Amino acid sequence: MSGQGKSIWDTLENIPREVLYGILLVVFVVPMIFPLGLPVPVSANVRKWYNTIDALPTGSVVLIDFGYSGGGEPELGPMAVAVYNHLFKKGGIKVIAMSTSIEGPQLWDKAMAEIRPERYGAQYGVDYINIGYITGGETAMAAIGKDLRATTSTDYKGASLDQYSIMDGIVDAHSFDLLICYTTGGDQSEGWVRQWYTVYGTRYLCSVLAMMVPTMLPYQNAGQIISVTSGAQAGEMETLVKVPARGIKSADVITLTHILCLAYVAIGNIAYLSKRFSGGGK
Amino acid sequence: MEMSIVIQTWMAAIFTILIYSIAFRDNNLFKFAEYTFVGAAAGHSLVYGVDNIRKVGWNNIVIGKYFYVLAFLLGVMLYTRYHPQYFWVSRYPLSIMVGLGIGLSMRAVVTAEFITQIKSTAAIQLIGVGDPFKLVSNLIFIILVITTVYFFLFTFPKAHSGGLGVIPKIARYGMMAAFSYSFANTVLSRYNMIFGRLDFLYSNWLPLPGAIIALPIVLILLIYAMLPPEKRPWPKKE
Amino acid sequence: MSTTLKKTIPVAIVFVVAFVVMMDYFLLTPPLTEAGKSWTSTTVRDLQNWGVILTAFTLGFGAVNLFYFHSKHISRRTPNQWQFSLWLLIVIVVFTVTGVSMGPSSDQYNWLYNASYFALSATVYSSLGFYMTSGLYRALRFKNVESGIFVVVGVIVLAKNAPALTVYYPILGTWVSFISDVLTTSAQRGIMIGGALGAISLGVRTMTGRETGFLGKMTEEERGGVGA
Repeated sequence: MSGQGKSIWDTLENIPREVLYGILLVVFVVPMIFPLGLPVPVSANVRKWYNTIDALPTGSVVLIDFGYSGGGEPELGPMAVAVYNHLFKKGGIKVIAMSTSIEGPQLWDKAMAEIRPERYGAQYGVDYINIGYITGGETAMAAIGKDLRATTSTDYKGASLDQYSIMDGIVDAHSFDLLICYTTGGDQSEGWVRQWYTVYGTRYLCSVLAMMVPTMLPYQNAGQIISVTSGAQAGEMETLVKVPARGIKSADVITLTHILCLAYVAIGNIAYLSKRFSGGGK
Repeated sequence: MEMSIVIQTWMAAIFTILIYSIAFRDNNLFKFAEYTFVGAAAGHSLVYGVDNIRKVGWNNIVIGKYFYVLAFLLGVMLYTRYHPQYFWVSRYPLSIMVGLGIGLSMRAVVTAEFITQIKSTAAIQLIGVGDPFKLVSNLIFIILVITTVYFFLFTFPKAHSGGLGVIPKIARYGMMAAFSYSFANTVLSRYNMIFGRLDFLYSNWLPLPGAIIALPIVLILLIYAMLPPEKRPWPKKE
Repeated sequence: MSTTLKKTIPVAIVFVVAFVVMMDYFLLTPPLTEAGKSWTSTTVRDLQNWGVILTAFTLGFGAVNLFYFHSKHISRRTPNQWQFSLWLLIVIVVFTVTGVSMGPSSDQYNWLYNASYFALSATVYSSLGFYMTSGLYRALRFKNVESGIFVVVGVIVLAKNAPALTVYYPILGTWVSFISDVLTTSAQRGIMIGGALGAISLGVRTMTGRETGFLGKMTEEERGGVGA
């Protein structure tokens, strides 16, 4: 075949990556500048997550692990914000945040700046608090589950926990009614199953990157995790909580870019199969 | 907007554009951003290492648990791994960490990832299921779990050949479906992340004064950096 | 004596620590130092805190290795490299000095983090999306049965992941439910069970000294010693 002109199928089978990326960038940017307002469905797992939090009685204590890194913030950040909005809107729930990710405290600050708890009348140290990053992964989870105050006696800024009324009676895993984890690491999402659900029976909601959802499904199926969602479903959560933000904004872009992906797969396969059946190659 | 936030936004935006240039071609501006990332990550780790040593170690010593001084000594011993002769001293603190890790994972893995998973599979109904689609789904589920476990447990050649070869084949088909689901979800994840950064550039950076003018300048500099030196229009070589 | 000190005792420490941690989970032992708390409970509590402290010490390894590696480039003035190495070390120092002196949750450190590390981290992760695009264009092709399954499932899930398409074609939700709840969950469960067995056997081998990878580099004498 060498020495002969390229057929249309050769061209379509080997589109340069600069062209692929260039078209992709255009499809990303156009709906951002001209939003289409395409619809967003609500999945069963997001609804289950929402109902679990909605059913929490007043006075419940929730532990949230900000276990994601800066890399996962564009996906998990909006989900974290939506869930916090839900908890604050509901009211009467004590929310204690910590982090098994080294960037967690900074990302928590980012989320709080977006949520603005004061608009719900929530006060730091009374309704919510952050006890900071604790190294060690599963060791840290086991340590705070066994005796939180022996592992850390300060919040994320170094102030003593004793001065905050929210920490009254918070001793170990038995003090919590619900555990929520946002993470980009499989070790963290699975670690909480091993160190809290298995040992203490703590109810557990988990939100991970979309690519990690398949590995968490067996835990959900076995009832160890109530609901596993991906950060990409933040738009659905915002729809339920009725506080639209970054999650809803991405819906148009995600729809159009995925349609583009389907087009790329179709073009590649049509070119490949046409070439194969016309005897042009393997 | 405060000047510090403006400068912060500009820095973040420039770094974002420099990193994205790698998708087209490697260049020294990308390398500069990459090295900044690596340095920042290492510095950030050091900062939180010190913070945790103070929070968990020092605070416990201050309240009277003096035996935590041993933990500090063990921590320093970890750095003997760089010594050509006394590297074995670092094995002592490492042994404690490894022992902890094994104890914590083994005590729970048996229940969480073995017994509970098997119980859950065994509880799947096959008799008395009215819906035929549900019955077929349940049957496929059990078959795929068993064949996948077989695939990973029995790795010697005889278990994958002859009549028995159909078992790992079924497992492979199931795993292909699972990996394809993962792959498609990975695309979703990454696209969400790209949207996040482009949204930052569009909503936070471009509205700032001068950003609209700076964008084409940065792109021209990037194209220049991506060109091989002999193809650059300037400086001209004699 | 040398092998005892360098290999046998560390392996014994692994065994004892792992055993005490597992004992705490399965048995209720009498109190020893604190009234009302079993001795394994208080021991494991302190061991876990020690584990947190030791992990905190290990966070410095990255910086140490980078200093060692890049200072060689700077001293040798490696062309087209030493300037980048110098910049990297400067960034480490700036972050460390700011974070340790002002505190990691201070406004100054947060500013530095948001101006550089966060933007770089988020962008590096997301840039892989471009490679995924060329990957799905080139790799999702009907070549045989297995790749065919890969393409069909991939196309259905890609379509379902476009939110608006699921609203207009609800059948996509049904198909993806089957793919995730039956095909994916079952395959992942099989992988998990196999992985759990592997983790258990690795744990037992490490506790009994048959797996010595965690000891790092070993001398000839140690390789021929206990547990080989």
